Amino acid sequence: MSSENEMFDKYLKDQLSADEVASFEERLKTDAAFRQRAEEHQILVKELKSFHERNRVRDVLNEAHQSIEKTRTLTVENTSGWRFWPMAAVAASVAMISIVGTVFYTRSLESKQTAYYKELRRNVDQIQQSQKLIMKDLEKAKKSALPGKYAGTGFLLSSAGYVATSYHVIKEADSIIIENEKFGRLRTTIVYGDPLNDISILKIEGELNLRSLPFAIAESEANLAEDVYTLGFPRNDVVFGEGSISALSGFRENPNAYQVSVPVNPGNSGGPLLNSKGDLIGMISGIQTQTAGAAFAIKSSVLLSSLADPALDSLTIPLILPKQNSLKTPSRVQQVKQWQDYVFMVRVY
Amino acid sequence: MAHNFDELILTEIRKKDERALRELYRTHYPMVVHLICSNSGTEQEAKDIYQEAVIAFYEKAQLPHFTLTCKIKTYIYAVCRRLWLKRLWEKKKVNGNIPEAETFSGIDDEVSEIEEKENRFNKMGAALHALGEPCRSIIEDYYIRDLSMENISEKFGYTNAENAKNQKYKCLQRLKKLFFNNQQKGI
Repeated sequence: MSSENEMFDKYLKDQLSADEVASFEERLKTDAAFRQRAEEHQILVKELKSFHERNRVRDVLNEAHQSIEKTRTLTVENTSGWRFWPMAAVAASVAMISIVGTVFYTRSLESKQTAYYKELRRNVDQIQQSQKLIMKDLEKAKKSALPGKYAGTGFLLSSAGYVATSYHVIKEADSIIIENEKFGRLRTTIVYGDPLNDISILKIEGELNLRSLPFAIAESEANLAEDVYTLGFPRNDVVFGEGSISALSGFRENPNAYQVSVPVNPGNSGGPLLNSKGDLIGMISGIQTQTAGAAFAIKSSVLLSSLADPALDSLTIPLILPKQNSLKTPSRVQQVKQWQDYVFMVRVY
Repeated sequence: MAHNFDELILTEIRKKDERALRELYRTHYPMVVHLICSNSGTEQEAKDIYQEAVIAFYEKAQLPHFTLTCKIKTYIYAVCRRLWLKRLWEKKKVNGNIPEAETFSGIDDEVSEIEEKENRFNKMGAALHALGEPCRSIIEDYYIRDLSMENISEKFGYTNAENAKNQKYKCLQRLKKLFFNNQQKGI
């Protein structure tokens, strides 16, 4: 058998002589068992060879695969390492700037916020205090009279019983009642309204038995920085407030009004604005929200020109304006003592 | 361009050029990784499948009358897809329904042939492993490396070539038994 194998090998390796090949092939044809053995041998050798070929190829491929992975890791290193360092630097600096900027910005914001909160708290306190006071006042008022829908201030323009007040105080009025300490409660009717200049004139029903009023109505404009004061009814008691003329124009540069630095509150509307001699120079009309200490007053010259309206000419009792200042005292206390008789709280129902 | 590349690779591979083989391997690897990894496979599995396909192509290219009937890329893609579907089936992941982008005629025969070859390859590997040393080295030296019996007897320390020849004969008989028995069992 060993020799037979040797012959197969030699046949496959082409080491047989021509005669041997011929006899070998002759035997293949005739001897089936021999042929089978020869074929098995051939298959085995072929498989052996292809096995090794395959292993060789596989080695080559593995090698190629490793080179792929190597280049891949290399490129990864490249990207993470040096290739994008300028971009990384830019990104880092942007991050730095934004962090630092945010810190500074939020800090400043924080301080602003706290300031805002402090103010707001003070405001709230004020509001709470005034709310308590209002509650007390309301309780008091309930005992005497109904508080009315709206309230404002008015002042006497003539001894015949004409009262000036703001148009916006009485514009939705059913009935208007004015009161002060001297005269008590008085019923009035509206005789004139000027919505454009926010002026209206009321007539007290009945006689007042007054001599002429002790103040004058200034025809000329007041001066900037002039000391002024007002009397009004932001609460149930008359309230004095003083300040000065801060501008010769009003809200949105309205030339018909002054800006005054007098503390005023809702209820002050229609109050007289008086100068140091006690003459009427204006009438309080409103304030500018969100601006501290900016109140507005209609100029007395505007009041006078408004009163020249023909509607007031045909009144049965003529409206004679006071011309002469007879207060004759530089003392504000004395002026106010006399003036407060002519200032009324206007209750609108 | 691509076709010229294919022709070039094929001629070089037929000359058993290793560089061409590496180049081929590198060219289509990303495609197969994408194919396998986007169909619930890992990169390691992609590597196995891909190598199988490349080896199949390589062996096919060695056949004397082989001609390209489609792009190498198409061949690799279609074979990998089929092989991977079969693996998924074996793993009981029947949800593997990979859309067939490209294929070529005779893919079924091709795949079964590849599997048969793979099977025989594994059998031979197992048989050689069971054969053990020094038999394996003697057989390999004689049949693969074409060493003469004199060289082999010298290398393995046999007193003469005749002894070595006897030893080789015994080894070959054992290998025959191992290989064909296994194959029969396998079938």
